[in-house]
Amino acid sequence: MKKVVTMLLAGGRGERLYPLTRDRAKPAVPFGAIYRIIDFTLSNCINSEIRHIYILTQYKSTSLHRHIQLGWNILSTTLGEFIEVIPAQQRIDEHWYQGTADAIFQNIYTLQQEKPDLVLILSGDHIYKMDYRKMIAYHLEKRADLTVAAIRMDRRLSKEFGVMEVDEEGRIIGFQEKPVDPKTIPGDPEGILASMGIYVFDTEILVRRLIEDARSDSTHDFGKDIIPSMIQKDRVFHFDFRQGDREGTGYWKDVGTIDAYYEANIDLVSVTPHLNLYDPNWPILAYQPPYPPAKTVLEEEGRTGSALNSILSNGCIISGGNVRRSILSPKVLVHSYAEIEDSILLSGVDVGRHVKIRRAIIDKDVHIPPGTKIGYDLDEDAKRFTVTASGIVVVPKWIKL
Amino acid sequence: MRKKILVVEDEEGLRLLYQEELETEGYEVITARNGREAIQKLEEGRPDLIVLDIVMPVMDGMEALGRIVGKDRKIPIILNTSYSGYRDDFMSWVADAYVTKSSDLEELKAKVKELLEKGRGR
Repeated sequence: MKKVVTMLLAGGRGERLYPLTRDRAKPAVPFGAIYRIIDFTLSNCINSEIRHIYILTQYKSTSLHRHIQLGWNILSTTLGEFIEVIPAQQRIDEHWYQGTADAIFQNIYTLQQEKPDLVLILSGDHIYKMDYRKMIAYHLEKRADLTVAAIRMDRRLSKEFGVMEVDEEGRIIGFQEKPVDPKTIPGDPEGILASMGIYVFDTEILVRRLIEDARSDSTHDFGKDIIPSMIQKDRVFHFDFRQGDREGTGYWKDVGTIDAYYEANIDLVSVTPHLNLYDPNWPILAYQPPYPPAKTVLEEEGRTGSALNSILSNGCIISGGNVRRSILSPKVLVHSYAEIEDSILLSGVDVGRHVKIRRAIIDKDVHIPPGTKIGYDLDEDAKRFTVTASGIVVVPKWIKL
Repeated sequence: MRKKILVVEDEEGLRLLYQEELETEGYEVITARNGREAIQKLEEGRPDLIVLDIVMPVMDGMEALGRIVGKDRKIPIILNTSYSGYRDDFMSWVADAYVTKSSDLEELKAKVKELLEKGRGR
């Protein structure tokens, strides 16, 4: 049995998710009512029996630290298992991490302590369900130095991904980071093989390549520097995500923008969402504070507490208001005569009487005063909130209304 | 111009020996007694190469190695130690060469010469 240590990169700023990332790093952004984005990757680890996990953080990490401390204190230190958060320590360089490769290089002392056979490098920015054991088995079978997980994407999206070219054996023979004119998949001129930012490395090769990179002029990035340099001299293979996809549907979401975030969330209220949260053999773990169960109250003419086609979390009370096609995180209060449609309300939001909300994301703990309308006059909303190109209104945390 | 070498060594006798021998080879030599002094010296002016002991008080060579590379990625560094066990240490791979101390300085001198000639063109 090979010893595997996981390094989960959770420093993503998620600038295009602003204002949801104003107070938190992208992996700590809430998703699907009770989860944070990072919970999906961490659940994949646990479900893949991977229990030696370092989470590397840097920007705005308080919220993430708190979440890990509260929700992920689940492993046995007695058995040598851990999920440990390592903030940027500036032990080598007195700067923030300069790139993904630099983030690992700066933690070379940690790798030294563990001396694993293999290092699994993950990002905390994506939502998907994957069995990493299959990728590790493939890596060993191919006697690879590096294996990169790949997913088919539409070629129009090439500027957002590392794009690879592979031979019949599965070996990566070309790798371009965010190309304008990408190499397409043979026989599939509209498709590209995109890197998912998931890597399995032989530890010794990883360390040697990181050191070479650290000692040269480089952007210190896996996609831009390490992989292109390795395909010349090392055994670099791609692993088809479909071989390890627990869903079997190719579900893998970056939720990099507010619109993508909104769509991926709202999909969960449909009858059969693209993301299955109900697989008993692949539970998505999350921190759940001990709130009482959700409830609806009042049943009077024009004042009935109801929620249809919606997700309600613990602690929610729908009191004489209407909720449709919406996602309510824990402890949301909806007061009488309020109407909420196609919206995402994060925990602790208080919706006053006669409030009307549609196509909006309301961040944590916002109190919406009685009679407020959000999502009905976008020009008016844009004066105080963020309004996206497709018309989603985002009401930020801490705002006083 | 003469190449400048920074010798980092806590033992005074060895420090003087390396200084003398390397000066005889035609190099300019400056010295530091530990990692912390080495980093200070680095700030006063860039040497062309560093000879770095590992086991030293105040700040050891492994710790200093990281800090030095953090400040100057390309400076050639030779780890010069009585112990061979550090070869397995990932951090030691950051150095350009690993020389085990002996009474004969030929190996060290050869490495110094080789690295200075090669430069760090990467």
